[in-house]
Amino acid sequence: MRRTFLKSVALGALMLGVGISSAMAQDNYPAKPITMILPLGAGGSHDLNARVLTSILPQYLGQAVIVKLVPGASGQTGTAAAANAPADGYTLLFTHNFFDQLQQHVKELPYKPTEDFVTVARTNSARMCAIVRADSQFKSLQALFDFGKSNPGKIELSHSGQWGATMVPAAQLFNWAKVQVNMTPYRGGGPSLRALLAGDADVTFQFPSTILGQGDKVRTLACVLDEPTLGSPPTFASLGFPGEIGEMHRIVMAPRGVPADRLAKLREAFVALQEDTTYKSLIKRLGEDSNLMSGDEYEKLRAQQSKDYKALVDSMTSG
Amino acid sequence: MEELFGSLAQGAAILFNPDTFLLTVLYMIGGLLLGMFVGALPGLTTLTAMAILLPIVFFLPPIFGIPFLLGIYKGGIYGGSIPAILVSMPGTGAAVATTFDGPALTRQGKGRKALEMALFSSVAGDFTSDLVTILAIVPIALIALAIGPPELAAVLFLSLIVISATGSGAFVKGVLVMAIGLFVAMIGQDPIGALARFDFGFFELRSGIGLLPMLIGLFALSELLLSIEKRAATYIKAGAKALEGERLKWAEFKASGRTIARSTVIGTSIGMIPGVGQVVAAFVGYAAAKNASKHPERYGKGELDGIAAAEAANNAVNGPTLVPMLTFGIPGDNITAILLGAFVAVGMRPGPQLMVEQGPQVFAILLAMLLANVLFIIVGYLTIPAFARVVRIPKAILMPLTIMFAFAGVFAVRNNPTDLYILAGFGVIGYVLRKFKFDVAPLAMAFILGPEIERAVGQTLSLSRGDLFGYIVFERPITLVILLLTPVIAWYLWRRSSKLQRAARLLAPEE
Repeated sequence: MRRTFLKSVALGALMLGVGISSAMAQDNYPAKPITMILPLGAGGSHDLNARVLTSILPQYLGQAVIVKLVPGASGQTGTAAAANAPADGYTLLFTHNFFDQLQQHVKELPYKPTEDFVTVARTNSARMCAIVRADSQFKSLQALFDFGKSNPGKIELSHSGQWGATMVPAAQLFNWAKVQVNMTPYRGGGPSLRALLAGDADVTFQFPSTILGQGDKVRTLACVLDEPTLGSPPTFASLGFPGEIGEMHRIVMAPRGVPADRLAKLREAFVALQEDTTYKSLIKRLGEDSNLMSGDEYEKLRAQQSKDYKALVDSMTSG
Repeated sequence: MEELFGSLAQGAAILFNPDTFLLTVLYMIGGLLLGMFVGALPGLTTLTAMAILLPIVFFLPPIFGIPFLLGIYKGGIYGGSIPAILVSMPGTGAAVATTFDGPALTRQGKGRKALEMALFSSVAGDFTSDLVTILAIVPIALIALAIGPPELAAVLFLSLIVISATGSGAFVKGVLVMAIGLFVAMIGQDPIGALARFDFGFFELRSGIGLLPMLIGLFALSELLLSIEKRAATYIKAGAKALEGERLKWAEFKASGRTIARSTVIGTSIGMIPGVGQVVAAFVGYAAAKNASKHPERYGKGELDGIAAAEAANNAVNGPTLVPMLTFGIPGDNITAILLGAFVAVGMRPGPQLMVEQGPQVFAILLAMLLANVLFIIVGYLTIPAFARVVRIPKAILMPLTIMFAFAGVFAVRNNPTDLYILAGFGVIGYVLRKFKFDVAPLAMAFILGPEIERAVGQTLSLSRGDLFGYIVFERPITLVILLLTPVIAWYLWRRSSKLQRAARLLAPEE
């Protein structure tokens, strides 16, 4: 009963939205403020990135972009809200690759990420490094693998939450190396770092900006890309890992079905943003970079991600 | 040690630079006022205000931007106790203990007294804990690091026992209500595997029950329902008194001196525990004050000392909470995460290197927090009359207004229509429970602490790799000590509370 009521309310809102948008179909998009839904809570890195994006984007779109935080159920609540919004370019979703492509393989979702959303832009990405304490016996990733192989389950790994940004690369890496580790989830990257520093964990994954603040307390074993500020530790690829690993892509999506000219306009705005000096300096001050990937390009990566994540999930849940 | 005082002196030189000091103070006052405002309106949380205003530090020099954000932070924490005292509407878990005596005092026409007691005890607790933090930042950091999942689980379990044993109602009723809270908290996803559970097929329930709709329904809506039933005869009885109500007398503040000191010690110690410090501190502080009082029966019926106990304790958490962020770069909650973002934006990267490389700047920030407390006494004292005037609003207008703010505020937090049903539902649940003389606070506490305990226990099980007993006995001595003390403390509390109840029955046989 309640469900049908909710549905009818949603339907009414949808029809109202369709009515408004069809009335404006011929106008100069965007003619009203654009809402950007974040399926995440206040104060996180997505929130802070979004605050910077939405303070500069209006210059290129001619309309305000409003951040709407809809956290809950590991991002499902906000993503569902965006999936149900009209595909008129006035509702966007600011999410990341693990919500977008991994979650569908571990949970039953009320939406289909690939069919329901199209990429506007990957605004930037955050790349992980594997770290141990400075006094750890493990001087290299290979040493960690060797120990792990002869002592299955002995290596304790702390991560930021089930199927999240640090758990997935860790699982990919140790799965590939055929090393069995004991994984303990913490509530976010901070507590998982505390576990490492306190000696509760042997290894964890962190972003370079966080590692930099730890000074000589931790040792970086490997990173996604070359990180000169950390003394250029080996990359996962140079150690032989095939494929994509350890990158959290921050992506702006639109409900699929958004008119092509509107999608093009949105994509252009994000490209133009890359040249904006204020944007570049603000994003740098957050400790993030501004390595844009175009919507088209990211769509290709997305298809590959889905396959990789499915393989990972299958291998982890079957055994 | 000498180095530490050198940094402290340099930090003071940065903050009290005569060229900038006046503007720093003005920005901080602006932040305090704004924080008080957003903290007082449910839905406009301190967290959201800080997230939206964070970009301000990109454009302002750090010596203005950071104090502005700190002002919002400190003002917001106090702001939350204003609706808790006036209309029984706690905006955060930390303000729940303040609703025990605040609304009762407001009904007696002592709303202003209560607000001032909350202000002075908050500032006293906060100032002391900031001072302790400045002097003992290194040892606090070491303690914070030593508290892992097993220690957290043991401490939180002990807190639940303390809360259930010192509730206002019968012990069995408290435990029953607590069980409901634990169950309600399980709806949604489990904190370890993130698997959906108890959603009864509703996608809307998969995100769990929101804290704010639950709190406001349970405390504010149920209170309104009870008042409507009594035809609002006792909702607020202000009319005859002076316009804004009586001010707090120095003697009254002094009488609560011991309570404030006790709560400050409790809050500062609990502040070293990451995460749920404020909520636990407020309750334990309140329970300890009630336990130590010669008139425990007055607590919960409009006792000024109860306000002092809760407010001093939850504010004393603030200093130590910042330590893990400053010393390890690990934020304890979302608000400290935003502060972390602000520090990074002005070129400070919190972590072990920060104290070495930028010690003076760290101390400038800590001293700015002390300054915020001093300024807040003035700002708060001058603005309280405006808030206290709420009692002058006729009941026929105030009650619908409160309902409106409750619904609007709840919706604003997550933009989720389901939260409105949850708010209404908990309003009814709170009403029914209170009708049958159940204390609803244990429900809220179990709801807040339940998932934390579950996560910590889950992590402990994972860490122990199947040998829980051996792990705790041989590798976690602190946990072992807390676990062994728990039954002793529980027995003591239970004996004391049953003695008190017997005494109360003898004193008031007609009830």
